[in-house]
Amino acid sequence: MDAQPAIAVEGVTKRFRLEGGREFTALDDVSLSLAEGEFVTLLGPSGCGKSTILRLVAALEEPSAGRVAVEGRPPAELSRQHRLGVAFQDHALLPWLDVASNIALPFKVAGMRVDAERVAGLIRLVGLSGFEKARPRQLSGGMRQRVAIARALVLKPDVLLLDEPFGALDAVTRRGMNIELQRIWTEQRTTTLLVTHDVGEALFLSDRIVVLSGRPGRVVRVVDVPFERPRHPSIMRSDLFHGMSDDLTEALHPPAELP
Amino acid sequence: MSAVLRALRASWGILAILLFWQIWVGLSGVNSIVLPGPAAILRSLADAPGLYLSSTAQTLALAALGLVLGLLLGAGLAVLTWFSSLLAGLLTPLGIIFASVPVVALIPVLARIFGYDMRTVLAIVVIISFFPSFVFTGAGLRALPPGSADLFRVLGASTWRRLTLLALPAAVPDMSVALRLAAANSILAAMVAEFLMGTSGLGYLFAAARSDFDMEKALAASAIATVISVTSFLLASRVENWAARNWR
Ligand SMILES: Nc1ncnc2c1ncn2[C@@H]1O[C@H](COP(=O)(O)OP(=O)(O)O)[C@@H](O)[C@H]1O
Ligand SMILES: [Mg+2]
Repeated sequence: MDAQPAIAVEGVTKRFRLEGGREFTALDDVSLSLAEGEFVTLLGPSGCGKSTILRLVAALEEPSAGRVAVEGRPPAELSRQHRLGVAFQDHALLPWLDVASNIALPFKVAGMRVDAERVAGLIRLVGLSGFEKARPRQLSGGMRQRVAIARALVLKPDVLLLDEPFGALDAVTRRGMNIELQRIWTEQRTTTLLVTHDVGEALFLSDRIVVLSGRPGRVVRVVDVPFERPRHPSIMRSDLFHGMSDDLTEALHPPAELP
Repeated sequence: MSAVLRALRASWGILAILLFWQIWVGLSGVNSIVLPGPAAILRSLADAPGLYLSSTAQTLALAALGLVLGLLLGAGLAVLTWFSSLLAGLLTPLGIIFASVPVVALIPVLARIFGYDMRTVLAIVVIISFFPSFVFTGAGLRALPPGSADLFRVLGASTWRRLTLLALPAAVPDMSVALRLAAANSILAAMVAEFLMGTSGLGYLFAAARSDFDMEKALAASAIATVISVTSFLLASRVENWAARNWR
């Protein structure tokens, strides 16, 4: 077995310079590591630096201290080789392209021939059949997020970063998408770092959950998720699931903060 | 039928002015050297269609060619400034200087360089069309949809692909604004140049007719120019609306 982690975040501190020259510490000495083919979720309150961790791994930010490595190399190399898939929180679709072209964009950017069948398959997978020719502005927020997920998957990336990909979905669609994502992931076992503040989503999808606290962002707890794969949606009704869910909810909101 | 009605509803204001003009000229009995009526202008057009047609064709061709060249030149230089901030620092002030010089002042200088003929007319139109294209394309290349710059970094886009797949498409709405601004001006600029240099084309026709006190002819030439300007403005507005609808 390869001992080198697929993603390594080692003692990373991230400070942002604010207007007026003041500094703001978004992340304080955060470490986490993903083995190849592992699904890890970052769970934490809004503003605790989850997106910042993803942006560091995507080489969109530089750490102020510490080190980020993907397969032991600087993270920018992965994107340069078109092996990174990211679904951003704000979906970042191109408004002048229709759904199919937005999903096909990574092929074009990589200078590859567009695999129309792969694009059509993903459109079906995220439940957008019939919307191939629709423009992003004609879609609901949830549909746009699903386009962004399909786009992140289209090149079969080696590392997948998902930033609250189901945030704009209603509970029912969200559950359906969680089940789909689990299925896709089980097929390809892509190293995945997911950001969410939905405890159930984190438990259902991940091998490990990293709980963060806010201001500055710190790792407060790491939880291994024991459910066997492939996971049937029925595990969400098990006692263990409910018990872990309560634990994690408590870890997110320490009792001291509750009235 | 309804199409006729719709056309009437859209243009009754202009028709009313023309009618009033015709009646006023008839009643007040002003000399046709001072102001001919619309009917007389139409007659002049009908009497020598060949003359108007050839002049119009020449002016239109120069304006269109100059428009296309100016837009391309402006967009091309804007793309160069997109590649290099060094070039941006060099070219942007130059562009602004060019735009601030009144065309009329440029004509004698350019005529010395290019000669008192069509080449100078073309150069004027190119310069007039260049500036909006340069400024608006430059702004459009940088007006990217939210998150798209990050997306292209994550996808490992080369500079070239960032230009062709992101920045240029993002600039289309702004480029269409430049087209609308430049389209109507290009006719005007071509005519002013022809008028001042007195060689050929619609502007020359106007100048020659005026010095012959042939006001029917002069006003017929301006009427043609007005129709062309308005038409090109309307067409360009359509392009702009289309871009605004499909691009955001
Ligand atoms: N570019 C930036 N400049 C200044 N502050 C930032 C920047 N990006 C994020 N922050 C701050 O860092 C903190 C963490 O942000 P983020 O990672 O987006 O949180 P989360 O995704 O967990 O909601 C927030 O307080 C945010 O305001
Ligand atoms: Mg976030």
